[in-house]
Amino acid sequence: MNKKTTIEVQNLSKTFGQTKAVQNVSFKVEKGRIFGLLGPNGAGKTTTIRMINYIITIDEGTILINDQPVSPKTQKLIGYMPEERGLYKKMKVGEQLMYLAQLKGLNAKDAETNIRYWLNRFKAADWHLKSVGELSKGMSQKIQFIATIVHDPDIYIFDEPFSGLDPINSELLKEIIIELRDKGKTILFSTHRMEQVEQMCDDICLFNNGKVVLTGNLRKIKKDFGKNTILLEYDGDGSFIDDLDDVRINNRSTNFAEIRLLNDQDPQAILKTAIEHAKIHKFELVEPSLNEIFISTVGEDNIKTEEAA
Amino acid sequence: MSWRQIYLVLKREYITRVKSKGFLAATFLVPLGIILLYGVFIAIFLWDSEVTYEIGVKDETSQIVASLQETSPQRYLDMTELEVDSLRTLVQTGELTGYVVITEENLTENRPLELIYSGGGGLALLSSIRTDMREVFRQEQLKRAEVTEEVQQIFETRIGVESRRLTEDGKETEDDSAFLSILGVAMGIIIFGAIFGYGGYIMRGVIEEKTNRIIEVITSSVKPIELLTGKMMGVGALAITQIGIWLLTLSLIAMAAAPIATLFMSGESTAEQMAAMEAAEEELPFIFSIPSIETSVIVYFVIFFILGYLLYSSLFAAIGSAADSETDTQQLILPVMVPIFIAYGILLHAMNTPDSMLSVIGSLVPFFAPIVMISRIAMTEVPFWEIGLSIFLMIITFAGTMWLSAKIYKVGILSYGSSAGYKDLFKWIKQG
Repeated sequence: MNKKTTIEVQNLSKTFGQTKAVQNVSFKVEKGRIFGLLGPNGAGKTTTIRMINYIITIDEGTILINDQPVSPKTQKLIGYMPEERGLYKKMKVGEQLMYLAQLKGLNAKDAETNIRYWLNRFKAADWHLKSVGELSKGMSQKIQFIATIVHDPDIYIFDEPFSGLDPINSELLKEIIIELRDKGKTILFSTHRMEQVEQMCDDICLFNNGKVVLTGNLRKIKKDFGKNTILLEYDGDGSFIDDLDDVRINNRSTNFAEIRLLNDQDPQAILKTAIEHAKIHKFELVEPSLNEIFISTVGEDNIKTEEAA
Repeated sequence: MSWRQIYLVLKREYITRVKSKGFLAATFLVPLGIILLYGVFIAIFLWDSEVTYEIGVKDETSQIVASLQETSPQRYLDMTELEVDSLRTLVQTGELTGYVVITEENLTENRPLELIYSGGGGLALLSSIRTDMREVFRQEQLKRAEVTEEVQQIFETRIGVESRRLTEDGKETEDDSAFLSILGVAMGIIIFGAIFGYGGYIMRGVIEEKTNRIIEVITSSVKPIELLTGKMMGVGALAITQIGIWLLTLSLIAMAAAPIATLFMSGESTAEQMAAMEAAEEELPFIFSIPSIETSVIVYFVIFFILGYLLYSSLFAAIGSAADSETDTQQLILPVMVPIFIAYGILLHAMNTPDSMLSVIGSLVPFFAPIVMISRIAMTEVPFWEIGLSIFLMIITFAGTMWLSAKIYKVGILSYGSSAGYKDLFKWIKQG
């Protein structure tokens, strides 16, 4: 695999008044990969993304895009879909996409071709003359995707892309992201919902409290943590799970539990206890979930979340 | 700064606004409104004399009332036979507006007359009665003094004062002072309105981009300063288009005004209306024939219009970026509104005394200048150094406000959730 670095963030810091939003952050996004920026709300993901997009200035450190420092020129290499999404309500779909594509440096002719292509692709060819205010939420989300990718950049950045999307558009966006990656494009997206990342990301970077706590290849990170998590499916009284020592219960429902073993607790002992108390359908030893990796890296007490507005 | 980006923003701002229904309505309804107002103006002028107030006159000298009736037969009624009590009753029941008792003492000893009236008719009635009485009394006194015809004639004389303006190059021109005062005030008020109107457009445009949440998409392609510049230029182009259409329509109206006014009248004009029209023409000649406006005044109008617009619209943009919704702007907008209203006050002062100290200073202070200076330029001879200094100071101030606004704007557009106060604005300026 070609290991060319597309986005390189080095010792990046940003302070707003008293708040250190980002502190000494470094990571690399390689070409042709899907990179996940993970962490709770308020961890500094959006601030980092905005600096990569040259929307806010860097206090300290550098960001290189294809080996160039961020500038209006590097902005044009990126398709960015912010967490706070929106379009001009009174403008027509066609005009709006044309405007956004031209701002990204496309000439009118190429922009027109790309707009036609994507509107057809999303079965929206006849929306060209509709104003955005007339569209349903799902429809305008599709227009938002097109607005992000219409100028055919090499790099795509999505900030919390799945928040607020309906299930159909969520699937559509996943398809687009995978398709773009297969075409050799580079994708960076942020999310606070770890499970989304597991399915899509090649590499990750975990953020907490403005700092990077872990970064690297997702497979490798998981492998390094070892198979120390039990997935248990059972029938009957599950209260025995509460009495287990040296474990952490992460995910639990009436007949399912994800149990993380701590302090070299023996999985066989747990299986034994389980059989005594309930009917076991499944007992599997797996690599920990990303959420579990995050918790055990940061420490349960150090996770600071800031409720999103 | 990239001019291509600024041009794209400018084009969008201009085209989406110029096509909007609100713009079309305002552009074409305003001249229509002016025509209507103009018609009403003429109508008021011609027909306000129709209401008559009846004043009962009890003339104990029996020499005055006849002359009064000659002056205005509808107004003064000879009621010498009636008792004062019945006159009072007539006023109380509303059959008379008022009454006057004239005695010999009034005539010989100059004792003031007493008008007892219901209070209707306003100041105009009082002053016209006063004029009538003075005239009639003087004539009667002259008659009694048995002065010669010649002396009587002397008292009749009303010397006229005609005025012409002497220009610097020694030419005498028609004096249009009355017209020029109105032109000056009108120009000041147009700029006053434009600052509010187009400044408000900018402010709402900025807020709209924030509430639509499109701002972050845009700023990932365009620098805030480019966006701000493009916006101000786009709305500025819109302003010029609109004012241009208005001025064009107005000059067409002006050309057509005299024929229309005549047409208006010709159908059923009585002798009285013709007289009123003649009087009107004498007092306000420009209703019927609009004097030409000097080109330099129009050029200055455009300069002050643009500078005033730029100066204030940059501030309005900053306020918009700091607010989260239009209702949030109220506390921030006050310091911007105050100078505009002070300027308006000075404008009204300058209308009568365009060369007073206050007017001169007002026309030099950058925040007042666009409104005050243009009206002075129209009304009076303003030395070139004053105009030059005023323009220079405005440009300097604009550079300053633009610099400040750009800093506030840059941070403001990306801060959602809570509206900023002044403390935040200062922080943002320091940050930028």
